Amino acid sequence: MRLLRMYKPFTSAGLQEMVVYRVNFLFFLLGEIMKCFVMFFVWKAVFDSSDGTTIYGFTYENMVVYLFISFLSGYLTYSDGSYVIGKEILDGSIAMRMIKPVDFDMCFLFQELGGKILQVLILFVPITAGVEIYRFIITGEILFNIPLFLLFVLSMVLAYLINFFFNLSYGFLAFYLKNLWGTDIIKGVIIDFLSGATIPLAFMGGFGKVLGYLPFASLSYTPVMIYMGMYSAGEIAFYLSLQVLWLVVFIAVSKLILHLAMKRLVVHGG
Amino acid sequence: MENIMIEVRDLRKEFRKAVKEPGLKGSVKALFKPVYNTVKAVDGISFTVPKGEIIGFIGPNGAGKSTVIKMLTGILTPTSGECRIDGKIPTKDRKKYVKEIGVVFGQRTQLWWDLALRETYMVLKEIYEIPDKEYEERMAFLNEVLELDDFITSPVRTLSLGQRMRADIAASLLHNPKVLFLDEPTIGLDVVVKDSIRKAIKKINAENGTTVILTTHDLEDIELLCERIVMIDKGKKVFDGDISELKRRFGQMRELHFELKNSADFEKLDYKGDFSFGEEDFTIELKGTIVDVRFNCDVVSVEEMLSYTLSRVHVKDINVKDADIEEIIRRLYLKGGEMLDAASENV
Amino acid sequence: MKRILKMHLIFIRQDLKKLMEYKVDFLLGAIGFLLTQAVQILCLGIIFSAIPALCYTLNGEVLDAWSFEEVLFIYGFSLIPKGIDHLLYDNLWGLGYWIVDKGDFDKYLTRPINSWIYILCEKFCVDAFGDLVVGVALIVYSLVSMSPETIAEINPLRIIPVVLVIPFAVMIFTSVKTGTAAISFWTKRSGHITHMCYMTNEFAKYPAKIYNTFVKTLITYILPFALTAYYPAIYLLRGESWWSIPVTVAVSLVLFGVSQLIWHRGLKAYESAGS
Repeated sequence: MRLLRMYKPFTSAGLQEMVVYRVNFLFFLLGEIMKCFVMFFVWKAVFDSSDGTTIYGFTYENMVVYLFISFLSGYLTYSDGSYVIGKEILDGSIAMRMIKPVDFDMCFLFQELGGKILQVLILFVPITAGVEIYRFIITGEILFNIPLFLLFVLSMVLAYLINFFFNLSYGFLAFYLKNLWGTDIIKGVIIDFLSGATIPLAFMGGFGKVLGYLPFASLSYTPVMIYMGMYSAGEIAFYLSLQVLWLVVFIAVSKLILHLAMKRLVVHGG
Repeated sequence: MENIMIEVRDLRKEFRKAVKEPGLKGSVKALFKPVYNTVKAVDGISFTVPKGEIIGFIGPNGAGKSTVIKMLTGILTPTSGECRIDGKIPTKDRKKYVKEIGVVFGQRTQLWWDLALRETYMVLKEIYEIPDKEYEERMAFLNEVLELDDFITSPVRTLSLGQRMRADIAASLLHNPKVLFLDEPTIGLDVVVKDSIRKAIKKINAENGTTVILTTHDLEDIELLCERIVMIDKGKKVFDGDISELKRRFGQMRELHFELKNSADFEKLDYKGDFSFGEEDFTIELKGTIVDVRFNCDVVSVEEMLSYTLSRVHVKDINVKDADIEEIIRRLYLKGGEMLDAASENV
Repeated sequence: MKRILKMHLIFIRQDLKKLMEYKVDFLLGAIGFLLTQAVQILCLGIIFSAIPALCYTLNGEVLDAWSFEEVLFIYGFSLIPKGIDHLLYDNLWGLGYWIVDKGDFDKYLTRPINSWIYILCEKFCVDAFGDLVVGVALIVYSLVSMSPETIAEINPLRIIPVVLVIPFAVMIFTSVKTGTAAISFWTKRSGHITHMCYMTNEFAKYPAKIYNTFVKTLITYILPFALTAYYPAIYLLRGESWWSIPVTVAVSLVLFGVSQLIWHRGLKAYESAGS
């Protein structure tokens, strides 16, 4: 409780910033979701072109759900702390954060969470509702499953935290990598691909199976597959524990890099 | 009147501003029901500037200085009223008009960050369609006045603030404008650089007969450069006249600043009772053991004030200061209405 | 006109010089762009490995079909006008995202030159080489790997109108960016609106027939990005939709006019409100 009270100002600041830029945010979102609609039509043509009704175990209806839910989870679990931290490290303003009696990574986390609140409000309900209505129209039955949904939410939260600590580690690397912009693009592309955000890992055969165990799948593929009911109870348990494992790993890694980076900051100055 | 370069008549500018209450609640409120206020940034200003004059344009932050400058440079259209520069209306046929003016905003450079200075001037040469020969002569002149040679091949981003300001001023003068607008040209510069920039402005004004409009917060800028000042506050003109006139009227205020050893001693000081200060000639303030006295040295000399004070109380530290521009401005507020009359007499 | 070209050349030279100065930054950025495209193409490849060709069907009847090579060609072609616009006129993004917002637009108004042209000239975006290289590579690769019968059907004369229409296709991109960036004169920031409209060009990378009527109308007439990619590309390959060539010219001119109108209205608004 004390923790929450202490970091509440950060959350509120993040939320206020989001409210101020709400219109920009909405337009940006509409632009991004355009890609889903492009693929919606492309997949339709692809399934029309195929002889069977499924491709790699996905029906068209599955594919559409996959597209939008992976967009949703990709967006909500996205964390750009790396860029902010990197910039602050490069221009030296990070010193301002270090002189405050709060935990460095926690203030980033709570600031970002503030922004997330609004994103969840704007995105979560419309997209899941849309997807459910779509599923109902196509299949004629209600496929919404409350336990699965709750597991999905849990998996999303884990995915976000993994993403956050992964990005934090990456951001601290700004001490060593001078160019964040270029490497950021490269990082984004690679993660999108390896996490199944661009195309389901199931489409990649044996290679996709291997990717399933890597941390990238935990970022987006796992929650989406849980939502879609593509995993058995055993698989859900397995992949959720895998997520927890990766979360622990990245928390440890970020602490380690932070420790090394601070040493460097103290020695070389900001 | 062919001698008039700038003529401003009853210039007004109103803005509509969204009002946001502070805090999260305010943000949410603004989201659903934005509230707007009309702000009169410039509220009926008139003045004229003869050819070749350097005029100082002063006033506190938010007084409307930059709004006036923006209207004079054609960036903003007045809500009503008129300004003519060399007979032209700025926002009308702007492309032609801006060829006759140069503008420097001290707070932000108009140069290109990555371009070497020489190339920056090449770009401006094309923009202003300056013939080769004229360009070379002009460059030679500006080089001499502003000493650009040391850094002419460096990219702008590597210049020091002082170099950058010189480069910016040169850029605004390349096309030999009739009027030069300088918005805070010495802001953030050290004493030596300030001095060289002032000298350059004076020289350019003397040799080219360029009319200069200068906004600043620095009294020294005004004192060393301007023959005349226009002072505005809250969008209205409060003073218009010679600098010597301003000093004569308001520059005689001095500030006596000292720290008492024992704050109870304060009662021993009765300036008002022992001297015959008028209502506006004297103010006193006590903060802890620190005493601030502002007085008119025409009424009581500095020497008298000092000896009076030192003979009555024990002080740890004492000093006397000239009234600065902020002080003059503050006094002008007090007399707001009266000054307006004085100002109109001067026109 | 000549002075604008001269001025533009100075900026181009400068940005090329900068590229050499910051080699690593440029390389990393370019690799980033290349990878982005490479991953998308890889995904296309994965999708196509499951189907013989991309079909357009109506009520179970196949009405049209595109081979993997044809889709690659369209995709590659789409990057050319987009890349040219990106290369030459990238500064419009800056206008919508920060130039007006930070009050830096004032300086454009104190110069004796059209502010729009001035903004366009000011930046030469070398990152766009990534798009252009991938585009050309895809075009070449897809042509080389097409069956001889398909190649034999291409009438070389069709290349002429297609090449001539490219500048108009570029103008579609530039006009969309201009019109939406000018909104910032009212709102201070409009980069996100530009982003939203610009993203519509994603639709243009694939055959326009696979979309429903709403999307088809949108990308042919309103934000006509299909005219910058699918139509000219398919005309070149098959001689289909020849009408799209004059339509592209006409639509781009109209769009240009509209964008200039918005720009000038925006300038008026800016002059009365400032920033």
